[in-house]
Amino acid sequence: MRIEDIIVEDSPGKRVLLMGNEAIARGAIEAGVGVAASYPGTPASEILETLALAAPKLGFHAEWSTNEKVAFEVAAGAALTGVRALTSMKNAGLNWVMDMFMTLVYGGVRGGFVIAVADDPSAHYSSNEQDTRFAAFYGEIPCLEPADQQEAKDMTRYAFELSEQLELPVMVRSVTRVSHASGDVELGPIAKIKRRPVFDKHWKLPYRWNVYGPPGPVEKHRWLHSRQPMAKKVVEKLPWNRLELRGKPKLGIIASGIGASYAREAVRRLGLNKKVAFLKIGTPTPLPERMVSRLLRAVKTVIVVEEGDPLVELQVRGLARDASPKLRVIGKMSGHLPQVGEINTDIVLRALAKVAGIRPREDRARERARAEVSKLVAPRSSTLCAGCPHLGSYWALKQALRKVGGKVPIINGDIGCYEQGGYGIFAKEVKPKDTAESVRYAIESPYETLDTNYIMGGGIGLLQGEFHAGYTDGAIVAVAGDSTFFHACIPAVINAVYNKAKGVFLVLDNSWTAMTGHQPHPGTGLTATGEPAKQLLIEDIARACGVEFLKVVDPFDLAATTAAIEEALKFGGFAMVIARRVCTLQALRQKKFIGKRMVVDPNKCTGCRLCVSFGCPGVLFKDGKGGIDPLICNGCGMCAQVCPTGAISVGE
Amino acid sequence: MDEVNLIIAGVGGQGSVLASHLVAMAAIEEGLRARVGETFGAAMRGGSVASHVRIGKNVSAPLVPEGGAEIVIALEPLEGLRNAVKYLAKGGLLLTNTRPLAPVDVNIGRAEYPSMQTIEEAVKKLGGKIIAIDATSLAQQAGNVRTVNVVMLGALAGIGKLPISLESLRCAIRENVPKGTEEVNLRAFELGLNAVREK
Ligand SMILES: Cc1ncc(C[n+]2csc(CCOP(=O)(O)OP(=O)(O)O)c2C)c(N)n1
Repeated sequence: MRIEDIIVEDSPGKRVLLMGNEAIARGAIEAGVGVAASYPGTPASEILETLALAAPKLGFHAEWSTNEKVAFEVAAGAALTGVRALTSMKNAGLNWVMDMFMTLVYGGVRGGFVIAVADDPSAHYSSNEQDTRFAAFYGEIPCLEPADQQEAKDMTRYAFELSEQLELPVMVRSVTRVSHASGDVELGPIAKIKRRPVFDKHWKLPYRWNVYGPPGPVEKHRWLHSRQPMAKKVVEKLPWNRLELRGKPKLGIIASGIGASYAREAVRRLGLNKKVAFLKIGTPTPLPERMVSRLLRAVKTVIVVEEGDPLVELQVRGLARDASPKLRVIGKMSGHLPQVGEINTDIVLRALAKVAGIRPREDRARERARAEVSKLVAPRSSTLCAGCPHLGSYWALKQALRKVGGKVPIINGDIGCYEQGGYGIFAKEVKPKDTAESVRYAIESPYETLDTNYIMGGGIGLLQGEFHAGYTDGAIVAVAGDSTFFHACIPAVINAVYNKAKGVFLVLDNSWTAMTGHQPHPGTGLTATGEPAKQLLIEDIARACGVEFLKVVDPFDLAATTAAIEEALKFGGFAMVIARRVCTLQALRQKKFIGKRMVVDPNKCTGCRLCVSFGCPGVLFKDGKGGIDPLICNGCGMCAQVCPTGAISVGE
Repeated sequence: MDEVNLIIAGVGGQGSVLASHLVAMAAIEEGLRARVGETFGAAMRGGSVASHVRIGKNVSAPLVPEGGAEIVIALEPLEGLRNAVKYLAKGGLLLTNTRPLAPVDVNIGRAEYPSMQTIEEAVKKLGGKIIAIDATSLAQQAGNVRTVNVVMLGALAGIGKLPISLESLRCAIRENVPKGTEEVNLRAFELGLNAVREK
């Protein structure tokens, strides 16, 4: 059965394979969610993608919002009217919602409101490793942390109930290894809830939905605190907080979320099953403090296993001071478990073995063989796709900067597929002396283009500061994608115009939020459920923001794109160039590609390698000559424009 | 056997994730429990992808421990070696396609692609066994190069070490490959199966 059918199937007890994100979506469906809103972000995107598959069939609203803050507010608005609502996002998305997050909790919610956040320890798909459980702690709301896909579903379903019981938003915190892993899940019944939205201005509290309304924010903060004892009581009874304490073990394990899955396996593999006490945590905040204290009093040493920063460990250390002052607490803070990067069974097993005094078996000869063989494994750097329009935009930018970019241009990057413009796979090794002063590294391929890159929409703001600081050693450029433009760039563009910044803003418009798996956005002309929507054009918005220099070009036309960027660089104010061409993967899916392949004439090829520097994975280089891999090439024709000797042309 | 640990490795776009899901779905169909730990990259094509599959009566964590994979199935040989080094158990099997996809690092002269012979020797050095088949040609023979993943799945079934029946696997394929490609994929499965049985 395919996911679009499984997700709406009302057959309780059936066991199916679900990805963690699908399980979270299913949990929301089983709880009768009425409104779901999100902005894409790996590893969280499939939560809304899955909900969007079910929404038309079950009659609830699911949307991709322009950014996480808007998504959060859309869902919160629904919850104020008593309708069950969910918002989902990746770790970084939560940073965008913090203003509303920290304020909404003062009045709470009426309908269950679930905030599903997927963290990404080891930053597989992210620019940081932040642990968003701390936001739940900060905002004084409960956080449920699943250990596997079954719990991801069950906790999400329950989170709506808990939210209504406490009248507070509830966070479900996942991580990559839950969200982007699959497991067998037993389905539950789908609640048939159709609530009529109500708006009751003074529901249980005066001016319930207006933090400024009397009695004002301080009193509402007091109300928020008054919820805490109730929350603490509830978590002592949840099935996901469980203490296994038999006999008189010396060692106790406290393991939260996915950490519990790793710790269980480590215990089993070390044969410690009956020798340790195990406290599995499903609510890192609030902690089941009584359960924790019971364990702390019973053992001599406790090891805390959790994914992210030591949120549970910090609290355990605090509780230990009262419960059992001589207790030894081991975890990330003691250095037994790593403080950066994700953990896994092997890491937990090694830490546990050390504490339990077990020497893991070693096979030195095999270790040596592995080290030797590792050297044979060639790296596989990620690249932009064959025929990606971003390749053309970057090539044109390079040509234009060479001509009129000055000595040390600054190119501010942003988040999307095009962030690979800063991955540096062709980059020469940087020597310590190179880093001592501001020097310009020649851009060889598109992959050495970007000099700065932090967060969505960050580049266009940095450009302005660099300009106002008085930077004159070269041009100042910012690059952003179309989804990023709608998400985060518009206030910054207005600011640039208003405060008279000078620089070039290059928008790479491929019509989709490509990197996260091709979700639609306001420029695509489709909604999350695939319905046609009004298509907004970036140039119309820029014009309305007062941008005076504005050009729209096709990045497959390298000469025209170069000319437009060159003109923009020479312009005396804030200039925008929009490079527009649909994402090649989408064009292929929609069969809108020419379907021909490029070929190289070896007689004309001089082996200059310019086509290789173009950075397209379809270009090969063998025996001193360029070539095209017919299995990879999509026939965009850009490499033919790059070739100085006309050796590349369209083949059959 | 308590549990079976597999890794299905390949290059983004080859369908290793789908192949791993097919194994897990078939396992669940047979009443077993399953975990698939996916390491897929962004939407872009061409990166290293590996799916960890764990099936058995009692599985918890999604990733196979280092040196814990009984079989590494590789849709691309270099990716097979990459995962075998880290995960192949002593005495384990690397079941690989022979058709390489050169990484950009090789194209720009930054790295060398190991030959099939080098890979074979390396796996022996690791204390493992290797079976190599030209799955790409078999997929073409089945009618679509994109069925390499299912050819390799057939080969995996042909090894005879999965606690799953061929019928459950065929059923998972029929129900989960893109609509309209069921026949090609089932052909690919049989071709992979026979290729290994002949060896
Ligand atoms: C605050 C935040 N939300 C979401 C993401 C996830 N994310 C990474 S890239 C990207 C999409 C970029 O789309 P676009 O700007 O159109 O560039 P494309 O990938 O299409 O080239 C998103 C949403 C993020 N990094 N930060």
